[in-house]
Amino acid sequence: MGLKAPAHAAALITKGILRIMGRGATTLPGKVAIKMCPDIINKCARGKKIITITGTNGKTTTTHMITSMLRSLGYEVVTNVSGANLASGIATTFLCEKPSRGADPEKTVYVLETDEAAFARIAKDLQPKVCVVTNLFRDQLDRYGELTHTRDLIAKGIDATSAKIVLNADDSLVASMGKTRAERSSYFGISLKTMLENNQLHPNNTILEASSDAAFCPECKVRYNYNARSFGHLGDYKCPSCGFSTPAKRFELSSDASGNPSDIGFPFDINDTKNDMSCELNLKIAGSHNLYNTCAAVSAVTTFLENDREEEAEIFENVCKAQENVEAAFGRMEKIAVGNKYICILLVKNPVGLDRSLSFVAQSSDADSLMLVLNSNTADGKDVSWIWDVDFESKVDDLPQNIYVSGERYGDMMLRVAYSGRTVDGYGTLEYATTLLKGALADCPDGKCIYILPNYTAMLDLRGRLVKELKLKDFWKD
Amino acid sequence: MEKLIIGHFYPDLLNLYGDRGNVLALMRRATLRGIEVEVKRISIGDDVKNGDIDIGFIGGGQDSEQNIMADDMKNVKGDVIKQMIEDGVVFLTVCGGYQMLGQYYQEHGGNRIECLGALPHYTIGEKERFINDTVYELELNGQTIKVAGFENHSGRTYLGEGEKPFMKVIKGHGNNGEDGLEGCVYKNTYGTYSHGSLLPKNPAITDMLLELALKRKYGEDYELPELSTEVEDLARKQALDYIEGRQGIQQ
Repeated sequence: MGLKAPAHAAALITKGILRIMGRGATTLPGKVAIKMCPDIINKCARGKKIITITGTNGKTTTTHMITSMLRSLGYEVVTNVSGANLASGIATTFLCEKPSRGADPEKTVYVLETDEAAFARIAKDLQPKVCVVTNLFRDQLDRYGELTHTRDLIAKGIDATSAKIVLNADDSLVASMGKTRAERSSYFGISLKTMLENNQLHPNNTILEASSDAAFCPECKVRYNYNARSFGHLGDYKCPSCGFSTPAKRFELSSDASGNPSDIGFPFDINDTKNDMSCELNLKIAGSHNLYNTCAAVSAVTTFLENDREEEAEIFENVCKAQENVEAAFGRMEKIAVGNKYICILLVKNPVGLDRSLSFVAQSSDADSLMLVLNSNTADGKDVSWIWDVDFESKVDDLPQNIYVSGERYGDMMLRVAYSGRTVDGYGTLEYATTLLKGALADCPDGKCIYILPNYTAMLDLRGRLVKELKLKDFWKD
Repeated sequence: MEKLIIGHFYPDLLNLYGDRGNVLALMRRATLRGIEVEVKRISIGDDVKNGDIDIGFIGGGQDSEQNIMADDMKNVKGDVIKQMIEDGVVFLTVCGGYQMLGQYYQEHGGNRIECLGALPHYTIGEKERFINDTVYELELNGQTIKVAGFENHSGRTYLGEGEKPFMKVIKGHGNNGEDGLEGCVYKNTYGTYSHGSLLPKNPAITDMLLELALKRKYGEDYELPELSTEVEDLARKQALDYIEGRQGIQQ
């Protein structure tokens, strides 16, 4: 038993104290337990069925979708609070989040959102059945460093396990991890046909291309040729030197390019090319990037079930049916009613997140105002220059009529908006944010929505103010 | 008027920390003055000749990406870049781009990487990285201007003979954290460690680069038309207030 029992007790006591103090207990109990028993994760994870979700963007949403689908399929699921995705948060999850009493361990799954660097260290201890890698985009580079380095870290973690790996085929950095692990890799992505139709219908009309990641094959140092693009460096690519190209996808998503993926209910198909089966689905959480997250979740759950109870037929169809029950209400892309109007907070942490959120708002039919909130604390990345990597220029014409900026670095964001060719309608530090918001709400027609795009600490600060100053109920999760 | 041609070197490899914002700033403050601008992307496989561009921009990249373009810069475009710099073509180079114009980069604990050698400075890699907001002072047209930026580099750069510093460090580390100097100037070529992006918040520098390029094009008598800096000044003031700790409710 070693120190597991006292460490567990200490974790629970810490959790109790934090609860009494009215503070969230998402990471500190695990931190205490790891101090007392450094191999606590190994001990806790032993014998458990685990799915990990890692990658730069979409971890939280994909984790939520997998959790929801497995529950619909009759599994007991234990999952971490989003953001608590380092070793400490995962240890906390094992120690403090228990399956319900009497749950069959054979039908209990731990669905764990895992930070990229943490994954490299704890994958060996977790021994997951399935590892999902969503994508790799530049994040806060002053904190995370090089993208190829992050990829190598994840690969190192994978090699310490015998897990099945579910990889985004459209991301060359992610897909390259399957090259030497072919027998246990399966790929998901968007069909070439859908990408081509999208590119044709929505040609990129920017005045200056966005800063791209992974334009070159890191092995050959040769530029990839793209047949079609999805967003960022995601697309259908091929290295003219080594021939590495978008791998054949087992789970392939197709949709009608004329539809609007910013609408909940946007219809699309996922084709299981291995079994030549296709399912019609509806987007449960709006935003084109959630097409990828849904496809990742369907791929992961199908892969997990095939390994968990291989005798069963119709797994893929059942998984697709379970997707129908995924709920949008979990703090991402969620609209909060304020009288007859709405506000919607979209957390943006890095260039691709801001790019996708701006596209989402530009395509949203109910958008009345946009509020961008920028901080530069350690958790956000101290450097705000990343806002210039994002292509506002191609989207400004479709952004809402009113644009407000706030946060500790509102000046930088105001100038970013101005240089895209739009003027802001109001600006100020966070102390002034609710005043701006009240004004925006007063001018907002009934039924319309104010979209707020904060980065991390800006979101935490703003949420507190919305509860205190606008008397909104705090039903957001991190 | 002829088009003003901005040559963006290796935009698909050297594009970290808002480098794109510098090109956008040059485009915007020229376009608003009625000057037509074209941005030429000059990456691996693209040709460039002396005379093709009026302003060159070279940013910084991740190590793996700098490794991809380093050969091309040294062996394919190196002579043209050197010639352009000697002829007085306007260049702005940031971080990795600034280091690569120099003599060499001595990696921390070993390897000496030969650089382009267009300028006399050299860089020594250290373990500790300078990652922080920065404030500099720039002497320009007899005025002292405060410049707001951000630095993120482990290299310490030391200027060589014939090079002048671009700015003086008020807050942050600048070239090497020792001599209080930031960046370099040689003829019409400027090197800096300042991200931010540098140009949007500091329109005096944008305008200086535009005017230098246009004077080269149309003669010393050319004068850059007046253009408001109101929104840029507001953004710089707010950034400086934040960096220098003058916080509080602001609207």
